[in-house]
Amino acid sequence: MQPVTLQNVVDSLVDNTLDMSLPFFRPELALCATIVILLFVRIFKGGEYIPSFFIAILGSITALILAFPAEGFESWATMPRQELFTGMLVYDTLTAFIRIFLLSFVVLFIILSRLTGIADAKDGQDYYALVLGATLGMCIMSSANHMMMLFMGVEMASVPSYVLAGIVKGRQRSSEAALKYVIYGAGTAGVMLYGISLLTGVLGSAHLPTMAASLADLDIPNLLTTAEGRLTVMVLVLGGLMLGVGLAFKLSAVPFHFWCPDVFEGASAEVDAFLSVASKAAALVLLLRVGAGLGLTTAELPVADSADPPRVIAVAANETTAPTQNAVLVKQVADSQDATHVGGGPLSPVRRFFVILVSLIAIVSCTFGNLAAYGQTNIKRMLAYSTIAHAGFMMMAVAAAIALAGRDVVDARTAVSALLLYITLYLFMNLSAFAIVAFLRNEMHSEDIADYAGLIRTSPLTAVMMTAVLVSLIGLPPLAGFWPKLRVLQALYMAGGPLMTFVLVAAALNTAIALVYYLRVAKTMCIDPEPDTRGAVSLGFLPAAFVFVVSVPVLIFGILPGPLANWTDLAVSQLFS
Amino acid sequence: MDPDTTLPVLLMAAWLVPLASFVLIVLFGKYMGPRGIGAGYLSVLAIVTSAIFSLIAMFGVWLPNHDFPAAHESEHSSSTHDGAVVSATDESHSKDSHSNNPHPDYYTGDWYSLGEFGTLKLTIGYYIDSLTVAMFCMVSVIASCVHIYALGYMHDELHEQFVDHEVTLSSGEHLHRKGRFYRFFQYLSLFCFSMFGIVIAGNVAMVFVFWELVGICSYFLIGFYIERHSASTAANKAFIVNRIGDFGMLIGMMALWSSVGTFAFGDMKNEKGEVEQGLFSLLRPEESEYQLAPPAGMIAEQKRMFAGDPNASAGDAATPAIDPKRNTQGQWLLFIAGVGIFCGCVGKSAQFPLHVWLPDAMEGPTPVSALVHSATMVAAGVYLVGRFYPCFSPEALLVIAYVGCITLFIAATIAITATDIKRVLAYSTVSQLGYMMLSLGLGGWVAGMFHLITHAFFKGLLFLCSGSVIHAVHTNDMTFMGGLRKKMPITAYTMLVGCLAIIGAGFPLSVYGLSGYYSKDAIIEQAWSFGSVNPQHAILKWAPVAGAFITAFYMFRLWYMTFAGQPSDPHRYDHAHESPRVMTGPLIVLAAFAIGIGWPIFHVNDLLEQGRPVGTLSATHGELLTNLTIPSEHDSHVPLIKIPAGIAAFCTALAGVLLASIIYLWRLLNPDELKESFKPLYGFLWNKWYFDELYNYLFVKPTLIVSHCAAWFDRNIIDSILHTSAAICKACSKVVDALFDQTVVDGTVNTLASGTWGLGLWLRKIQTGSLRQYVMFIVIGTVALFVTISIVQAYFIPTS
Repeated sequence: MQPVTLQNVVDSLVDNTLDMSLPFFRPELALCATIVILLFVRIFKGGEYIPSFFIAILGSITALILAFPAEGFESWATMPRQELFTGMLVYDTLTAFIRIFLLSFVVLFIILSRLTGIADAKDGQDYYALVLGATLGMCIMSSANHMMMLFMGVEMASVPSYVLAGIVKGRQRSSEAALKYVIYGAGTAGVMLYGISLLTGVLGSAHLPTMAASLADLDIPNLLTTAEGRLTVMVLVLGGLMLGVGLAFKLSAVPFHFWCPDVFEGASAEVDAFLSVASKAAALVLLLRVGAGLGLTTAELPVADSADPPRVIAVAANETTAPTQNAVLVKQVADSQDATHVGGGPLSPVRRFFVILVSLIAIVSCTFGNLAAYGQTNIKRMLAYSTIAHAGFMMMAVAAAIALAGRDVVDARTAVSALLLYITLYLFMNLSAFAIVAFLRNEMHSEDIADYAGLIRTSPLTAVMMTAVLVSLIGLPPLAGFWPKLRVLQALYMAGGPLMTFVLVAAALNTAIALVYYLRVAKTMCIDPEPDTRGAVSLGFLPAAFVFVVSVPVLIFGILPGPLANWTDLAVSQLFS
Repeated sequence: MDPDTTLPVLLMAAWLVPLASFVLIVLFGKYMGPRGIGAGYLSVLAIVTSAIFSLIAMFGVWLPNHDFPAAHESEHSSSTHDGAVVSATDESHSKDSHSNNPHPDYYTGDWYSLGEFGTLKLTIGYYIDSLTVAMFCMVSVIASCVHIYALGYMHDELHEQFVDHEVTLSSGEHLHRKGRFYRFFQYLSLFCFSMFGIVIAGNVAMVFVFWELVGICSYFLIGFYIERHSASTAANKAFIVNRIGDFGMLIGMMALWSSVGTFAFGDMKNEKGEVEQGLFSLLRPEESEYQLAPPAGMIAEQKRMFAGDPNASAGDAATPAIDPKRNTQGQWLLFIAGVGIFCGCVGKSAQFPLHVWLPDAMEGPTPVSALVHSATMVAAGVYLVGRFYPCFSPEALLVIAYVGCITLFIAATIAITATDIKRVLAYSTVSQLGYMMLSLGLGGWVAGMFHLITHAFFKGLLFLCSGSVIHAVHTNDMTFMGGLRKKMPITAYTMLVGCLAIIGAGFPLSVYGLSGYYSKDAIIEQAWSFGSVNPQHAILKWAPVAGAFITAFYMFRLWYMTFAGQPSDPHRYDHAHESPRVMTGPLIVLAAFAIGIGWPIFHVNDLLEQGRPVGTLSATHGELLTNLTIPSEHDSHVPLIKIPAGIAAFCTALAGVLLASIIYLWRLLNPDELKESFKPLYGFLWNKWYFDELYNYLFVKPTLIVSHCAAWFDRNIIDSILHTSAAICKACSKVVDALFDQTVVDGTVNTLASGTWGLGLWLRKIQTGSLRQYVMFIVIGTVALFVTISIVQAYFIPTS
């Protein structure tokens, strides 16, 4: 064994960084380089003649190409989980998938920004640098394996978003939205940081697997039997809750959604698309990472399932002689193990806590979002509530995945696959909805639903595409939105248990509730008579082509979801192992 | 270049390019340039590309790889005595004189399999021999000319407001509608794709598919001026009459498949490398020296058909008992299959008795008449007979010959009295198609196919010329024309070339003449050769000669009435003008083809000889009609037949031209007086032998009566039952609606809906917009979550 000297430590660090970590970090590096070029190119002579759009699109496409696996997608089936940068980040198929997803979205998004003209020649470089910076943050969010990286990722994604929300200068609503966003974000970030410090303080590490191991060592059911132990658990619960607040802010989950409608209404439709698709996707994956990171250790695999429960029950059995308040709690913890179906093991209380928390927030978000969307008159505000509702729906998949992970790895993977399918198809639906809103804003300078009346007669393609997208958002076959909802419901059914059944019923009811406000917009566009005052509305060729390209997958994947579903199945094939 | 791989690719490209053009025009035709003019250019580009591919296939691949057979003229000079013996009807000798020919060079294969049903394979495949390549070149070149011509002819359709002077609305105005320029070219492209599909098809089923496709294109194009009543009824007529023929074709296909079990023409290898025999080698096996021999399946099938004893019921027509050497095993089924397939050809090629649709089809725009209804589609029937030739038994061929003979005579006589310029040409087309059928039926395969190709060029030319005239004087009626020679010389003289070509002008007994001279003389020679061995069928010998006389007469009548003499309508004459160059250009190109395509130096004849179907060179004898002999085609070239036939053809044609000149040029006889003196005959011909009236009484009226009865039954009996039950059902549902639905169901749903809506509106109010409140909610939310989680953990997670 080599002696531990400074030189050795440095050498091994350098080796680890250069040989192992950096090759997996190439797409992010490409993004960094693009940002630097974007900002510095104008210093040099003649640099102002290079359109920043080209730099941004080249950079993002390069990053996207680098994100594709060199050995083809089949290699995902055997790709192991690797920790990068001494455990700061994790690289597995989920990371690879979500990175491809985020970078593809960014490529489309940059094209959209160019087409709508939101990034003009003067602001272009700032705008693109902010977008790429936020994307970098999201990439880090979705591969975080360490509390530090988690916080950094969330902030790197949020801070550029604050500026993007207010990028339209001279509009009061826009500036107000940005300010609200900043302050609300700062508040939740503070709470989250406090929660992280509580957790790391108790568990002695910020590295997620290490934290999980410490949690397992704590033996929570035993802790609950002593007053001191209960205090420790209380601190842990509070810490977890506060961490959840930060994540809920990014997900715009109720009750931390207040920023969302105001910001969506104030910011431009393009930025809304960015916030609603990319930001949500990264936050959902981060939520999954936290749940799986803290709730599962390698000892938690279902193989151990049969061995673990008796021990917990034994603890409870010893206590039956003195039925104190604690013992009742412990008994409930032990008994409810079967009721909530999160599997056994020392970390099962953590999983149960996570599952209950996420399920509750998901149900409330979904229901609230759908109901509050009813009376909206502004299309962006309506879509903001729709986003809240969809985030709730997707969180249900996360809850199901964690609930299943302790019992049956294969089923849990199905749940994650449903989530990824949802995210992917949500990209097409929301991007095309917001793109249509943005193009129509350019044409008729209005974002009121009432002004869309009779659009089918002046601009049939737009109206048809928008209707298809809205119907897909409801989740009706034969459009693409149907499949992910179905698969989430399947996952919930597989998870079983009273709580998950309740979530299942709530999810199904919400689909019906959502019907009303989406179809109201469709009805306004297709059936209502045209107002006399409006002139001809025509998008022009390139915008129409963009809308077409983004919406057609909604039709194609609605009929042929197979390839996409196979891909997401492949992306989760090595998860939880 | 290896023809095995390059030919299918080249011809497939030529075949599919028009399809691409069609698809593009269907999708984007409206947006191509001002009022769709780009569609026309796209369509022209597509068909010219096809023509280039076809010509490359011909001159770049086929000709360098296939030598012409040794000139058979020399072969004949040495076998002159054979011909003499043939004329003495010595059957056995003529069988020995020519060894039977094996399969011609061909390439066949499948591109795509539509499905397999038991042994039945439905595929998209190809069968390429010299006939295929020649047809590809002919169709694509003529279609290119017609497409370019149509750019000029259809120019009126480019206007935003097209005024159709032939349609008068109830308000007394003419119909105004949008121009449909792009749609015309869309159909033309689809037609070219379908026509190529027939030509390249590798099996009968594929032929049938494209057969129907050309039918539907023809329907669209005849009915292009759909607002004109005459056009829409003509389109219907064409389609329905064709369906009658197709019915026979289906029967033929079923007979073939049930007894032979394959639709493919040629032999091809399957995936395992085994050779799957096609129709031709199954029906003309190598073992029987390529003579027609019904395969075992066919014999068994016929036995089943005649319930055991094949001779019992077959004996009424032929006499198998008298001649024990002949056997009729399978021959009847073969006859049915052949005649069935021929029925389809009768419909498509407008042969008697289904010829009535073609003259009416002239309601379509003239380029369509030129391309679809004279040069290509109607020739598809003849082409199919030629392609299917090895499968026809001698008896079936005799049927074909008689049908062709009757057709050529009837149509020629009707053409004498018609005054509509396009109808004259239409009847002439029917008559010429009759010539081709006659020739094929008499064993003159090369002669028939040769005439098919030469006729396509000169008839396309004649139609385009007539279109040019109509474009100038805005009428179809020749009685309003006259003297136009001076106004439009290019049209007049190119049309004269066409007339000379169709009557077969040339120097008799020499090798100098226009294209029609070679092909028509070949047909007449074949007819005389047939007549010399089958004296009982002498009418088949004289009918084509009489036809040649009438053809010459009515063609020159047409030319004189249109271009010579004095203008009969000065007003129209003054407004007439030569057509634009985009229209006269194709005329000149086609005129050049009409003059030269038949010249021996171009070897069209030899090219076709390369594609001679298997086993058709030697003379064959009927098995059912034992005294029927189909002579070998080479026997028609012996001087004993060739010289008198050539002289007869020349003299009759000259007589026809002279008679036309006497009446219409020199006015030695007054046409009106002639009309009076032959009034009954004139009326008979003017009314087209009363075919339309006859069919009307025989088929249309009875069908209508039956349908009226059915309609009455439907309306009064069935409908009243339905209406009563519907009324009862409605009454019941009203009661249920009032008692239950409106109160209980609607009440519940409405309450629920308004409750949800109210909740939604109330929830909106939480969003106050006040930032201070929002930040406070972060704290409240965290605490509330903590409390909720505790409560849920403690009380709501059930204990088991």
